[in-house]
Amino acid sequence: MYTRKNQRDLTRTEKRRLVDAILKLKSSGRYDDFVVMHREYYVMDTENRPRPAHMTSSFFPWHRRYLLEFERALQAVDPGVSVPYWDWTRDRSTTSSLWAEDFLGGNGRPGDRRVTTGPFAFDAGNWKVGAGVTDQNWLTRNFGRPGNNPVSLPTADDVARALKDPVYDTEPWNSISTEGFRNRIEGWGIHRVRTVGNHNQVHQWVGGPMAGAASPEDPVFWLHHSFIDLLWDRWQKAHPKSAYLPGRKPAAPGRDRDYVFGLDDPMPPWNVTPRKLLDHSKVYRYA
Amino acid sequence: MSRTTDPGGAPRGARGPSRRIVLRTAFTAAVAGGTAVILLPLRDHGPGTAPAPAKGPGHPAAGTEEFAEMYRGREIRGSVTVLVPAGGPGAAEGGAAEPVTEIRIDGRPLHVMRRADGTYLSDVTHYESFPTLRETARAAVDELGTARLALPASHHR
Repeated sequence: MYTRKNQRDLTRTEKRRLVDAILKLKSSGRYDDFVVMHREYYVMDTENRPRPAHMTSSFFPWHRRYLLEFERALQAVDPGVSVPYWDWTRDRSTTSSLWAEDFLGGNGRPGDRRVTTGPFAFDAGNWKVGAGVTDQNWLTRNFGRPGNNPVSLPTADDVARALKDPVYDTEPWNSISTEGFRNRIEGWGIHRVRTVGNHNQVHQWVGGPMAGAASPEDPVFWLHHSFIDLLWDRWQKAHPKSAYLPGRKPAAPGRDRDYVFGLDDPMPPWNVTPRKLLDHSKVYRYA
Repeated sequence: MSRTTDPGGAPRGARGPSRRIVLRTAFTAAVAGGTAVILLPLRDHGPGTAPAPAKGPGHPAAGTEEFAEMYRGREIRGSVTVLVPAGGPGAAEGGAAEPVTEIRIDGRPLHVMRRADGTYLSDVTHYESFPTLRETARAAVDELGTARLALPASHHR
């Protein structure tokens, strides 16, 4: 049993140990395996195959397990570390301590948007990106993407509205489910219905790899998803009588249900069901 | 911009082999399955052309679009080609119509995917989608900044 802290409460030493463990995973090649895995399971809701990770009910349990795997890899390097969370409803400044020299480094510089501060700056020598989207090897960020089509971080009100929904997820269990906590937090914009929100909006706000298919290339990915995981806890506490949906597979499932993971459907690549991931209280807790 | 000297770029106006293979494969599969198929040629419908709205969850209608333009100094082009059963677009209900999408930025292919509401997203903007390929390509240019797309050879998946 260990604790995941708010990143703003980490001590200098805790930050250094986390950064060191991440850099060790990177140099061993393990880190990039996680980037590839995320990409591999990012299946669209128009594809005729199972989609465990995005545009789907199991968005929360799949990412919970994914984070646990990453955390185990970190802890194999340093048993004292865990994945902290970034509460972007509170830490909204581009100069918050999250983005400081001693932690994740800051925004990209004007022009080429290259991150030039902190341990993940290319010139520091330990962090190369480029899992196939662009031909650049340096980490980029573009906070709020000023210009044409700027984006802000979601607010506490945005999150509160999602948490208020008593239903976990609704048909068709994909990116166009208009009701339900899951897609309100996953945050798919729905053509002619609503714009991008919460989880997706934060990916957009950071920019660079975080906005694209190789989003875990920016280590802030893990702190963002730790907070998403915490929001699932908060929703469960707010609605103790509400269950994960969909439940058991009907005898004659419709097309919408075919590629979705119900409560007892084992998810790849770990062959673990959402049911097994509903309660993490024996493994870690949030502070 | 030096797109004419880009070693990774396809010749201007050239089509990559992958698109032809995809089309041929889809055509062969449909014929083998006993379904007559018409390859619909699609022409430029101008800016702002949106695909037909989705008919319902899981049965997105196929869009029609083709464009080429300079956007913020980058050459973007894209097309959607749709295979439709001989009964016409109305007979496509049930997912028989499979749009084949292609976007290139300075000659390099951008991986494009489609969502259940009929909108498109790309490898560069993976958490938001757009009604048209043109908007998808422009958003990718905005997000790329000064970066170029990776060459297809280094593309995972």
